[in-house]
Amino acid sequence: MAWKLTVFILLLVICFIFPWIVSPLWLRIGTEVVMWAGLAQSFNIICGYTGRLDFGHGAFFGIGAYVTGMAMTLLGWPFGLGLLVSGIVSALLALAIGYPTLRLRGAYFAIATWAMGELIRQIATILDITGGAFGLQLPAVLNLPYFYYMMLLVTGLTYLTTYLLVEKARFGYKLLAIREDEDAAEMVGVNTASTKNWAFALSAFFPGVLGGIYAYWVTFIHPDSVLGGQITDVMCVMAFLGGIGSLWGPFLGAIVVQLIQRVLWVVWGEGTFYLVIIGVTICAVILFIPNGLVGLLEGTGLFSPKESVNELKKKIKW
Amino acid sequence: MELLLQTVIDGLLMGGLIIIIGVGFSLCFGVMHIVDFAVGEWVMLGAYAGYMMVRHFGHDAMFYLPVIFVIFSALGWVIYPVILQVVSGKRFNPAIMGLIFTFGLSITMKGGALTVWGYHIQSVPTWLTGKTLYLGPLTIPGLRVSGFFFGILVTLLLLAFLYKSRYGNVIRATAMDRDTANLLGADVRKVGAFVYSLYAGITAMSGALIGALFSVHSVMGAKYTMLAFFVVVLAGMGYVPGVIPAAIILGLLQSFVSVYIGGRFNLAALFLVMYGVLLITPKGIFRRGW
Repeated sequence: MAWKLTVFILLLVICFIFPWIVSPLWLRIGTEVVMWAGLAQSFNIICGYTGRLDFGHGAFFGIGAYVTGMAMTLLGWPFGLGLLVSGIVSALLALAIGYPTLRLRGAYFAIATWAMGELIRQIATILDITGGAFGLQLPAVLNLPYFYYMMLLVTGLTYLTTYLLVEKARFGYKLLAIREDEDAAEMVGVNTASTKNWAFALSAFFPGVLGGIYAYWVTFIHPDSVLGGQITDVMCVMAFLGGIGSLWGPFLGAIVVQLIQRVLWVVWGEGTFYLVIIGVTICAVILFIPNGLVGLLEGTGLFSPKESVNELKKKIKW
Repeated sequence: MELLLQTVIDGLLMGGLIIIIGVGFSLCFGVMHIVDFAVGEWVMLGAYAGYMMVRHFGHDAMFYLPVIFVIFSALGWVIYPVILQVVSGKRFNPAIMGLIFTFGLSITMKGGALTVWGYHIQSVPTWLTGKTLYLGPLTIPGLRVSGFFFGILVTLLLLAFLYKSRYGNVIRATAMDRDTANLLGADVRKVGAFVYSLYAGITAMSGALIGALFSVHSVMGAKYTMLAFFVVVLAGMGYVPGVIPAAIILGLLQSFVSVYIGGRFNLAALFLVMYGVLLITPKGIFRRGW
């Protein structure tokens, strides 16, 4: 337990002093890693803990980026307010979408959310106030450490929320019950509809905020760059590689995938071969280590194994 | 009036092509309960196979359709055990795992195609290219007509096979109730492999046809994944006869939106209808899906 805490504090310290010990290139990569870690965790809340594969999760990231972008350029709002509004808009939209969509299960839910995500991208391309297919230009600010710390803050909040609300609270146990057997969960008195909805809203809030920071950071957003399917793809890969349904899995997955991608980019230049590597990685992970990298480390004591629902049932009176 | 008629004809012809993709996909879902996210990439690979064969061996693209069918059926046969491993293993949610796995396959195929062939758009000339039928004021491209009839023909053959032959009955029984079919002596593993290889072959063959009709490029897959999903959702997942009307509705929807509302609303309309159908009647417009 003590050395676990040491590892955690060491990690925290590294995260904080990171901008002061590396070059701007690595700071950029670090910011990306932190952002993706948060995004993958938000995906993990709905997919890993609730058991619904959301193939349109990237849409919330894009909506956050667009809301912040439009609030700053069209309305002249400050950045912080824009971020907050992005998160809230994302979460509200998730509630609105989730209410009818979460009734669907398995592949049906995946296809419906995928259609919804693509629909949102098409709407952003058609509308004039989003800049349409020309994209949206934000005021440029060159302050890398600032964005790094913003990403770190929001990603940290994502992990903290997941830890407190999903891993340690009743709410999380309800989610796990829904994942394992939705009908049984309903039988023992879990209000599955509202629980799923709140989980979905929670998982949409953080990508909204991260999308807002991303938009201000890269200063130019386009429907294909922030609403494209590849956002969901990468989130999905990271969460599954790291270990779906575990707190540290998405973090691990984000580091590994983003570093591989960047190293390949540095070695080979702007190529497409990394797609093959990512694809093969997904297939291999699903085939050989369905519990992800965290699953491999389970025996080492670094990560506590997931509690099974049976143990949870003993612990909690519903 | 002429515009309306032309729109209807364009829609019908487009729909006819999509039928072929939808049929295999629907069958694959009905029998094995696998949603194959790589369906568009099979189309893309088929199109490239046609393009490469025409470039290396000459002759007409249509001539190679059976060859492509055989090659990709074999490929499907080889891949199937791996997919079965994913779907039937002790995973927390087999349906999701299958979806993610085929999704990984699709990224691999797309990335491979981009790496090998790049972003260039290729076209495959056939003897029908540029031949057009004029019916009064209406223009009907010959290649699309042949694609339409080819699609209908393949679908009818498949339906006849499914509903009239003995092995077709076994396949339908497996789709209805896997365990009972297994108890009654059907080798469900073999049925699955057969269906998957049939699906891969048909889809790749339609890809070669699509490549000849429009163009061949590495990122074309996403579009056909979309269309296939639309058709299957509308028809009801796994309900094969529903694919024909669903594909025709798709074609008509696309051509009407393009002509009367505007091309940029095309995909938005598609996704809106798809999402709406999934919410209102997840089993498809005939309520016969799985």
